[in-house]
Amino acid sequence: MTGAVRAFFRLLVVQGAWNYERMTGIGLGYAAEPMLEDLKEADPARHAEASVRAAEYFNSHPYLAGVALGALVRAEYDGVPGAQISRLRAALCSPLGALGDQLFWAGLVPAAMAIGILGAVLGYPFPVLLAVLVGYNLVRLATGVWALRVGLASGIRVAAALAGSWVQRLVGPMGAAAGFLVGLALPLAGAWLFAPARPVEVAAGLGAMLLGLGGGWRLGARLPTLRFALAALGLAAVVSWVAP
Amino acid sequence: MTPETLAALALWGTVVGVDLVTFPQGLLSRPLVAALVAGLIAGDPEAGVVLGVALELFALDVLPVGAARYPDYGPAAVAAVTVLTQRPWPQALGYAVALGLALAALGGWTLVWLRHANGRTVQRYAAGLAAGNPRTIALVQWRGVVRDVARSFALTVVGLALALAVREAVPAGAHPGLVTAVAVGTGLAAAAGGAVRNAGRGARLRWLGGGVLLGMLLVILR
Repeated sequence: MTGAVRAFFRLLVVQGAWNYERMTGIGLGYAAEPMLEDLKEADPARHAEASVRAAEYFNSHPYLAGVALGALVRAEYDGVPGAQISRLRAALCSPLGALGDQLFWAGLVPAAMAIGILGAVLGYPFPVLLAVLVGYNLVRLATGVWALRVGLASGIRVAAALAGSWVQRLVGPMGAAAGFLVGLALPLAGAWLFAPARPVEVAAGLGAMLLGLGGGWRLGARLPTLRFALAALGLAAVVSWVAP
Repeated sequence: MTPETLAALALWGTVVGVDLVTFPQGLLSRPLVAALVAGLIAGDPEAGVVLGVALELFALDVLPVGAARYPDYGPAAVAAVTVLTQRPWPQALGYAVALGLALAALGGWTLVWLRHANGRTVQRYAAGLAAGNPRTIALVQWRGVVRDVARSFALTVVGLALALAVREAVPAGAHPGLVTAVAVGTGLAAAAGGAVRNAGRGARLRWLGGGVLLGMLLVILR
């Protein structure tokens, strides 16, 4: 089987045609094509069926989509029945999505941004953020390579390979690190941004913070943060204009 | 602001807009990164850093999961920087944040439009997709990518136009720092709310509490 390198690069745009019908299915089908090319000569009918299956509904975390891609392509070459491949595809959506969301969106990304905020507050915004960007993207690319490899190596048995992987083991520690770093960054960022303000303005800002926290806790989804912030900012603008 | 600077900002805003969902999802769309580079382009790095930190507080509240509608902070941060450049940030940051939040919300709506437009393309080429035609798959894929480039560019240009208007209209009230203070307060509330929600009730919540305590101690000691 050839085309894994091209497939890896195509996976970087796996969400390029994201839509409510197939979600990332088109992107996965696009990434699968280079690896399915050998099948075209060996078994044209199977290749056509595999191409159709590859672009069907799919959704997962984009960084881990390679796990599914590798496993599904390997299963096509292994001659696994189409219905079984479709079931595998459906079964991989939730675990890959949940794992990636926890590890990256709720773990590594907030941790990286908290480090960036700390760098800015401590007076080194550019070198710190550059290091964060380089480090994060190296992890992201390495994860993509690992995902495709583990999928290709495991095929239909990919769930077992995923269960004992470093991704699973890292979710807890990464969440703890993200929690700690975000917690550390918030008071420092607040003190830094409030520093030039007059006491009455700081009091208003802290009042808005407490109101936002209380409102968020009591009202939840009924009062989205963005709407609350825009309303508070509008009110503050009016007050700042009319107050003596 | 020169036309060259505005063109460079429009280009950067397009890059960060595409980064959010399509390519490469490499943190470029985070407001801290987007605003910092925009500040450099606009010749006022401090404005970029300050606005980036302020908007990042709001972005920390967002979990960009699957089909959810979430704000697009990248182009918003790039445009909002222009409200702040070459002027004292304690007076103008609040207005820049307000514009950034409004543009981010608008960006969220454009993402929904983008998904529906991609869905219509899928329906239009349903026959080719049902036949497993690789060319059709590639065509649908690249139409989506090009559409996101156009979306990000349009969002940034609209944002820049609004930002230039806001920049001229920012009032010099009796308490110019009040709006900035409220922006910081609501940003802290957003970030803290998101952190608590992500932490749940397990060990992560304790680590979050430990971080907050250490951060407060450092603030007192500094």
